[in-house]
Amino acid sequence: MPTARSSTDAGLAGWVRASADLQHLLRFRAATVRRPRAAAVAVAVLLGVTLAAAVGPVLVDGAGSTTVLADHLGAMLAGFLVLAVAAAMASGGGRELVPREQAAVHPIGHRTEHLGALALAPLNFAWLLQAWLLLGVAARTTGTDGWLAGQAVVAAWVLCATALAQVVGWLVETLRRTTHGVLVVRVLAVLVATVGVALQAADRLVPLLEGLPTRHLAEVVVEGDGAVPALLALAALTGLAVVVGAWPAGVALRRTPREELRVESGSHPARPLPASDLAVLRRIDRASVWRSVPMRRGLVVLALGPGLVALGGGMDWTQVLVLPALVVSGGALLFGVNAWCLDGRGALWRESLPVGPGTVFAARALTLAEWLGAAALATLALAALRAGVPTPTELTALVVTLVVVLLQVVAVSLSWSGRRPFPVQLSSARATPAPPIVMVGYSARLAVSTTLTAVLFSSAAQVPVWWLVPALAVPFVAWSTVRLLRARRHWVDAARRAHVVVTVAA
Amino acid sequence: MNEPVIDVRGLHVRFGEVEAVAGIDLQAQAGHATALLGRNGAGKSTTMRVLAGVVPPTAGTVLVHGVDVAREPVAVKRLVGYCPDVGGLVPRATPWEHLQLAARLRRLADWETRARDLLERFELGDVAHRVTSGFSHGMGRRLSVVLAALHEPDVLLLDEPFDGVDPLGVEATMVVIEDARARGASVLVSTHLRDLAMQACSTAVVLRGGAQVAAMEAGELTGEAGADAYRALLD
Repeated sequence: MPTARSSTDAGLAGWVRASADLQHLLRFRAATVRRPRAAAVAVAVLLGVTLAAAVGPVLVDGAGSTTVLADHLGAMLAGFLVLAVAAAMASGGGRELVPREQAAVHPIGHRTEHLGALALAPLNFAWLLQAWLLLGVAARTTGTDGWLAGQAVVAAWVLCATALAQVVGWLVETLRRTTHGVLVVRVLAVLVATVGVALQAADRLVPLLEGLPTRHLAEVVVEGDGAVPALLALAALTGLAVVVGAWPAGVALRRTPREELRVESGSHPARPLPASDLAVLRRIDRASVWRSVPMRRGLVVLALGPGLVALGGGMDWTQVLVLPALVVSGGALLFGVNAWCLDGRGALWRESLPVGPGTVFAARALTLAEWLGAAALATLALAALRAGVPTPTELTALVVTLVVVLLQVVAVSLSWSGRRPFPVQLSSARATPAPPIVMVGYSARLAVSTTLTAVLFSSAAQVPVWWLVPALAVPFVAWSTVRLLRARRHWVDAARRAHVVVTVAA
Repeated sequence: MNEPVIDVRGLHVRFGEVEAVAGIDLQAQAGHATALLGRNGAGKSTTMRVLAGVVPPTAGTVLVHGVDVAREPVAVKRLVGYCPDVGGLVPRATPWEHLQLAARLRRLADWETRARDLLERFELGDVAHRVTSGFSHGMGRRLSVVLAALHEPDVLLLDEPFDGVDPLGVEATMVVIEDARARGASVLVSTHLRDLAMQACSTAVVLRGGAQVAAMEAGELTGEAGADAYRALLD
């Protein structure tokens, strides 16, 4: 006999209940925001940027006459769908509204989980950046005439693509949770990546994207005709995707997360005792990173994704210089921005061990740096396959950029980790090291700072003076070193460290 | 009477506006086990964390074997073995990796035989190389006691060591406490399981609202009369 209604109810009642549950969970998340004023400012900034992206390009001369952008709008709309699918797949179907450990005791149904993942999808800087880009390009191509219709169609497509991507994400997660699902998904991913690289290498990827049905949407945006039918069709498709997506979500969530369980029950034979305190600390830190499903999966996507784009696109070294910045800033979002959460509830015991806090800090910083460095090197190795042998100036610029960006990101990450720790398990592929709204802020700040740095160095590398890039790096290295030392001082302070330890162990 | 191994005077611990410990005095002798009792939020775990060098005292003096925990926390950590109240294990490391970390940082020589013996006594020998995130709560508690006892510390701090632990695990923990007492260590056990605490300890200290309200022989808190006396102290 049922004792309570839940979002597992069938039919329309189930959706009504799921929507109500979603509102409760969103209110719960909103109530647990530690700095509501900062969150309100963040939301206002996001809305402001969205408005600027949608309106700004219209105000600049030449709006409405940009044919080059109009030609590529169809491919860009399709590209948004591809990126949304990749994000949904990498995050195990979608982000968790409430962490798995906390949600387990509540009657939260699969529809609520599905709607929650959809609600959280926009809280991803890559998603936001792409959406702003599409709104901006649409505004630029339409100008003032047909601006409203164009913006509405693009916004509807962004929502529709997100819902469609969510369906694919859940389907892949359903497959991944079958007996040999992990292997099958990996093989499929390699196949898709190989085909993608081959198409790109043959200059056929963009024509393929431009040939997709999204070109019709692009025509609607550019020409302004048929906006209403397009909006109705997109609304219907979005509704259908939302409803259909609940089915694979239910199947996936009912199945055992095999990859996570395999990692949680994995055996690792004893190895000889390391020779130093730092080495033994680094060993356990490395284990915490490499034995985590979301971190491992995220790193592979980050390392290979940009590398394959570079490989397929045949980027030259000055273009490749920007890639380490993207990879390193993305990698820090996997755990670096809340680096002390790696110890979980073991933080209290670890803190009771007789070792100087400076050594613990050094171990964590080195683990983070080598983790990010490994991802960046994998990307560069792939890019190098077609970029050829770099000139001494290019090689110098590459090494310097990598060092600067690594130092920059490690310093910022450890600074944030010390100031704003969060208790996170990071065992689920759907987990993030900080709440979603905080992650948006972190990712935006990291992406902007590292990309600007890399663009500066990339520009400098085109000047045939080998010492220019190293000279430019000096202030960056100095500032990041100061920041890293400040983060270390914060950690070494007993009271502040106790706050971090007690928080992550909560 | 000998100098106390644990000597806490006027301990205060504040977390922002919250005063977790409000003036505790506590002494514990070598070769004795002391039970730390009290309701949730009485300040037991925070006191343990201060003694383990994890949380610094806001005010007061905390000496372990004469070493000031506020001034020389690393020296105190060498003297202490600590089983925290929550978890206490690095989720993606194996028990053996935990033991290796502790052995290396505590400069232990020939520790492997004792480590294997402890793991066997706590029935964790079969899972020594499995990551701990898949452990049950009881297994985690048992491993935390093993980690606290590995280096035969002068001060053994066990915070809720019996919580969710099966009878065999409880027996093994009792043996660890008895061994520590026999070799002259001072043992502090924080628990809500009064009967087990009285079985393991010779003295008891009751905390309420972050302060000490009673210190007595364990015998005074045993049986039904002891239960009534304890309840009266909590209200």
